[in-house]
Amino acid sequence: MPSEYTVEPHIQYASLEHQGDSAQDCMWVFLATETVFFGAIIFTYFLYRVFYSAEFDVAGKDAVFWCGSVNIGILLTSSLTMVLAVNSGAQGRRRAMIWWLIATMALGFIFMAVKGYEYYQDFTDRVVPAVNFLMKPEEAPAGELFWDFYWIATALHAIHLTIGLALIAYVLLWRIRRGEITPEYYQPLEVIAIYWSFVDTVWLFLYPSIYLLGRS
Amino acid sequence: MSVEAAQPADFAQPSYLDSGHTIRSWLLTTDHKRIAMMFLASITFWFFIGGMAATLVRLSLATPDGLLQPDIFNRAFTMHGIIMVWLFLIPSIPATLGNFFVPIMIGAHDLAFPRLNLLSLYVFNLSGLVVLYAVLLGGVDTGWYFYTPYSTLYSNSYVFAAAMAIFINGYSSILTGLNFVVTVHKLRAPGMTWSRLPLFVWAIYAVSVVMLLATPALAMDMILLGADRIMGLGMFDPSRGGDPLLWQHMFWFYSHPAVYIMILPGMGVVSEVISCYSRRPIFGYGGMATSMMAIAVLGFFVWAHHMFTAGISIYSAVVFSLMSFVVGVPSAIKVFNWTVSLHKGSIIFDAPMIYAIGFILLFTIGGLTGLMLATLAVDIHVHDTYFVVAHFHYIMVGGAVSAFFAGLHYWWPKITGRLYPEAVARFTALLTFVGFNVTFFPQFVLGYLGMPRRYYAYPPQWQSWNVLSSAGASILAVAYALPLFYLGWSLLYGKRAGPNPWGATGLEWTTPSPPPEHNFAVTPVVTLGPYSYDPEDGSYRTQDGTHYAL
Amino acid sequence: MAVSLSLDLPVGAVVKLNLEVDARKAGPALFVIAWAFLLVLTGISIWTAFLGLGSWAAVLEYGIAAVQTGILFTFFMRLKGPPSVKWVFAGSGFFWLSVLIGYSFLDYATRSGWPWHG
Repeated sequence: MPSEYTVEPHIQYASLEHQGDSAQDCMWVFLATETVFFGAIIFTYFLYRVFYSAEFDVAGKDAVFWCGSVNIGILLTSSLTMVLAVNSGAQGRRRAMIWWLIATMALGFIFMAVKGYEYYQDFTDRVVPAVNFLMKPEEAPAGELFWDFYWIATALHAIHLTIGLALIAYVLLWRIRRGEITPEYYQPLEVIAIYWSFVDTVWLFLYPSIYLLGRS
Repeated sequence: MSVEAAQPADFAQPSYLDSGHTIRSWLLTTDHKRIAMMFLASITFWFFIGGMAATLVRLSLATPDGLLQPDIFNRAFTMHGIIMVWLFLIPSIPATLGNFFVPIMIGAHDLAFPRLNLLSLYVFNLSGLVVLYAVLLGGVDTGWYFYTPYSTLYSNSYVFAAAMAIFINGYSSILTGLNFVVTVHKLRAPGMTWSRLPLFVWAIYAVSVVMLLATPALAMDMILLGADRIMGLGMFDPSRGGDPLLWQHMFWFYSHPAVYIMILPGMGVVSEVISCYSRRPIFGYGGMATSMMAIAVLGFFVWAHHMFTAGISIYSAVVFSLMSFVVGVPSAIKVFNWTVSLHKGSIIFDAPMIYAIGFILLFTIGGLTGLMLATLAVDIHVHDTYFVVAHFHYIMVGGAVSAFFAGLHYWWPKITGRLYPEAVARFTALLTFVGFNVTFFPQFVLGYLGMPRRYYAYPPQWQSWNVLSSAGASILAVAYALPLFYLGWSLLYGKRAGPNPWGATGLEWTTPSPPPEHNFAVTPVVTLGPYSYDPEDGSYRTQDGTHYAL
Repeated sequence: MAVSLSLDLPVGAVVKLNLEVDARKAGPALFVIAWAFLLVLTGISIWTAFLGLGSWAAVLEYGIAAVQTGILFTFFMRLKGPPSVKWVFAGSGFFWLSVLIGYSFLDYATRSGWPWHG
């Protein structure tokens, strides 16, 4: 069990609340940049989808629908477990916080496992451009662009998710173990939770783009 | 004009240069002032590397057949562009003068996130290492625009390495911008309201907004370029359904606001210098602050004016042309306000003021020629000629680099605790102005006559203009090298500076020269706006309310 | 904000629902309800994909994604609460993204000869 831990704000801050508010503002500003970052590739996708809708419809049929759908459910649930973890931490319920964080990590790992299986399935379906790609005549030539987008966007998303998992591991093994997340100052955990929910938000837009559009 | 500062407690502490003498205390510092100095060292290094590339280009262009092999020439101008844009101009004022002075000017003890600041430095230096790697392997020959499909399909150079270097560099910008935005929002001292912020802080804030919102688009564009090139994808290849112009749209969505990143901090510096060296407040503070934010915002709506001849639709070209005219308005407001600020002032022609007035003149010429380029009919004729090259060098070099030197000299006593030798500095400032115009004015003529940019050879009848330009470049090289010597000399032998050698009014001038590690022993309370110079009796008040007679 | 809802259940029990967003005061109810709502919206989105609506399905699906984003931002990421500059930060990314997308489409939609076919 951690011993008594008192936190002082850093010298440039007037109070812990000041420091915590600034940390949250920092994460939101960073997320604005991430919005433009992921938005730029979704823009690319939009552009090609609008002008090559027939080819993209054909290409999209090979996306593994159940994997994407299971994954969106997993991520939305992980946002729930994450916010429950922060609430527990802010209310001093340390064990609950730890278990909710472990649940979030578990869901994150399940996402990666499903994604990994999906990548394997995509490889056998021969939709990996430049590596193992079979161009169907109805989707030539622009249908490959759908898969370019798929691989780059989902890979970037997976990298961001991995960073999220690393951040949760950091806060569990470093900050919480030393008793540094208390009702008095729980902002590091809050900030990580906001990042985690943003990674979820990106998937909210990738999901219809990859798995839903063109199925009707 | 040296006066005692109002905060004697600050003088009891060691300066930021003396608090810790180990290498570790520098490399792992969280002090924004030390980080600023390390950035200064990096960007100075890159300025001279980029300058060497420019020297190769101008030497080669002195003869019509070119001195360099064409392939080497292409690599020289490309590396000049990449290095000067990302490794010098973009970080120059924000990461050095901004890092050093924004916290002090708002009365804070440090930036909001000192460790992110240190990370920004290391990310920047990492990007520099990757650029060095690309250069040493042989460089890139695509031009700093990396236009597709040449860069993705045909170029036989180290495009991927350069693209990744720029991707990494972008994150340095984003971290810096992040820090400044939160710092200005949250760490202002009591009484430092938004309407009392010095215009330099407004400039850095505006720049940070642009850095944050534009850079991620470039980051994604570079990822797509890298993936396309390494994996042989077809995202920009027409035969596979891609559009080469897509690269240009996303690239210029960043790179046009990037040019505002490069000029806005300079505008902030010029406002500080003009008011101090004419002993008058800046005219129209509200208009100046608003126009900086307007430039930052409107700058996002004009990007395709770089693509008028690339194949975009004529309808969108008309819209972008119109917006390019609109964005000139806030810049013009600033030039008018600076000019009016000088009126009836007691002008002191020290080096910072010479650089600042040079900025106003050269930025105006650059800006007006920008309006010419925004005119569709004119642009068809001069696009991709030396007219464009001269236009942007007037703004980037005549404007931004002059402002950088103005700020460096103005704040040198505060940063180092030493006064630089004024006579040499004045001479250098004038030499810079002369050398600059001899280099770049002929390029307007050459462009109008039709000489394309990025060509290693040209018809012999243009040689005299090219030789004139190259001769000017040699003058400019001397003028840029001189500060290394006399500023370096001043570090060892310069007269020691008091807290406020110029009698200026910002909070930074109430601290000792150089300031202590946490800037202020006691958080100051601000009671006045910036630039409280009284033109009637020559007295002035610093922002914490202390009154100084002349 | 704490909302008291009295429900007259058959056994006469009174249930109070804690709808606070702030971490120090929040109960699980608000977030569980929001999560359930998010899953329902996902289900609706999937359903619209198979309705045969053609390109209108895209409008619905992205619209639902936007609503889901709003729920995540407001409650899970705690944008709800005292007016603060966080809203501006959160919204600015989407605004500038719309400039990139919309303004580029101005070119693409009016360009003749794009895309190249054949």
